[in-house]
Amino acid sequence: MSALLHLDLLKEEERFSSNPVRLRIIMPMVAVTIAVGCALWWCMLGLQAHGMNLTKAGLRENIDQLKGAHAAFIDLRMQEKEAGSIYQQLRYYENSIIRFGPTLTRLPELVPANIQLTELRVLPPPAPLIDAKQPELGPTNKTEAVTLRLAGRTCGETASADVDALLAALRGPAHTNLIRQAVIPKGAFRQDTMRSPDQREMLLFEITCTCLPRRFE
Amino acid sequence: MVGLEIGSGHPEGVPAVRVRKIGGRTELVAAGFLELPGELPLEPQAPGVPTQTWTLPRAFQAPYAALAVTSPQGYLRHIAGPGDEEAENKHIPFRTVTRSFGPDLPTLKAGLPEYQAVWAATRLPEGRPPTACSLQVSAAAAINTFTASPLFQTLPDTTLILFAFAGYTSLVAFHGAKLVLYREHPVGYGHIRTAISNEMRIGTELADSVLQDTFIDPIPMIEPVLKPLFRQVEISSDYLLRRRNCQVQQFFLCGLPSGAKYWASIFSRAIPQPLKTFHPFDGLLKAPRADPLPADIPAVEPYLMTALGAARAALEDV
Repeated sequence: MSALLHLDLLKEEERFSSNPVRLRIIMPMVAVTIAVGCALWWCMLGLQAHGMNLTKAGLRENIDQLKGAHAAFIDLRMQEKEAGSIYQQLRYYENSIIRFGPTLTRLPELVPANIQLTELRVLPPPAPLIDAKQPELGPTNKTEAVTLRLAGRTCGETASADVDALLAALRGPAHTNLIRQAVIPKGAFRQDTMRSPDQREMLLFEITCTCLPRRFE
Repeated sequence: MVGLEIGSGHPEGVPAVRVRKIGGRTELVAAGFLELPGELPLEPQAPGVPTQTWTLPRAFQAPYAALAVTSPQGYLRHIAGPGDEEAENKHIPFRTVTRSFGPDLPTLKAGLPEYQAVWAATRLPEGRPPTACSLQVSAAAAINTFTASPLFQTLPDTTLILFAFAGYTSLVAFHGAKLVLYREHPVGYGHIRTAISNEMRIGTELADSVLQDTFIDPIPMIEPVLKPLFRQVEISSDYLLRRRNCQVQQFFLCGLPSGAKYWASIFSRAIPQPLKTFHPFDGLLKAPRADPLPADIPAVEPYLMTALGAARAALEDV
């Protein structure tokens, strides 16, 4: 047993720390600071959320106000697009015009006297492949082949030479801006069997001219 | 640990002793008297009265402080049981603590007025060293200078020590490590000084010089004062022998500033035993690299006894 006589009258609450950093004060301060920080953070988040809600409501109201105008605008855009497309197609067609006038104007000068033209026709182009689900307003191909067919009859001893002369004239340089190639298809220069036997000397011919293609550009 | 004796009334200041314990060995670091503001109040103060806190000199800035309060209202005494409250002033709240040394021994009780305890406990503020870790009454604190000394370990079974204070002398008897008797008698070295002063018509401050020089024999002057005290020692010794079966084998005197040889001389006439002087600082090593101690430490060590005892009690009890 210790002989020390330590009769201590000091109360527990009177025992202090000599440490300048007082945990008793620092800890509550840190706790309060953290709590205040959290509260401020939550307040800021709340204010931000409130602000975003206000912005959202404003935007929604604005959208509602603009909905009619937006629909009208979309409709106008559609109309503009459609009109633009039509206009474009019309321009394509305009650009694709092949001028037969000058050639046809000079044609009587080229045709010999014993040749009678019975047909002068621009053959219709082959039908384009159209997708039923997505029909195109304009031509589906960028180019379209153009064929000019001349048919006629002739007689006499110079008939063959006259047809050849017409063919050569069509191939001449005066028509190269329209006709690329002119040929007499096989079997197209023949005797006219439909007439009476005394008129059997009459010959029929056809000339097919492949013209420059129509370019829809 | 720094020990401070509050309310000692010493003219040089508050007795202070700083000790430390390293490797099981207690060392003396600093000792002296500190000029600290304020005095222990002797009556309850009105609330809100501003009081200054203390900042100790660097040499005394130990982490902790043990405070011993010397108060006329404070007490240390045996009590019959837990309900014994007769000595307390019923009008003033007291702070008390008790200690029992055995089932067959009366409980020892220390008490201090609450306002004095609060005043003392609030002298050393939080946040700078030292701060109070112990508050003791002076009479109990002083006993520890003896019980903590190496001498105490070598003593025979029963020893009686006289702790001399200015206004009273306490008799403390130990049987082994047990405190078996505590008594106070209202005769202290202050009464000796007064007796010499009155007899020789000199100032009380000169009385110690009469006791120290050899030109005058002061025994005729002090014997009438000490005789009743030693009679009480004799009675206490007889009580220990008859009631506790403890034969006192050695007597020690502690805390006397001067005239110990005259006390021993008069004592030997009353009791056929020598009265040995115990020096509180005996066996206490000075700490290396500590500030130099005051040159007059041997002369003032009785006045530092209570501060040292408080520090040692708290230091050993940590």
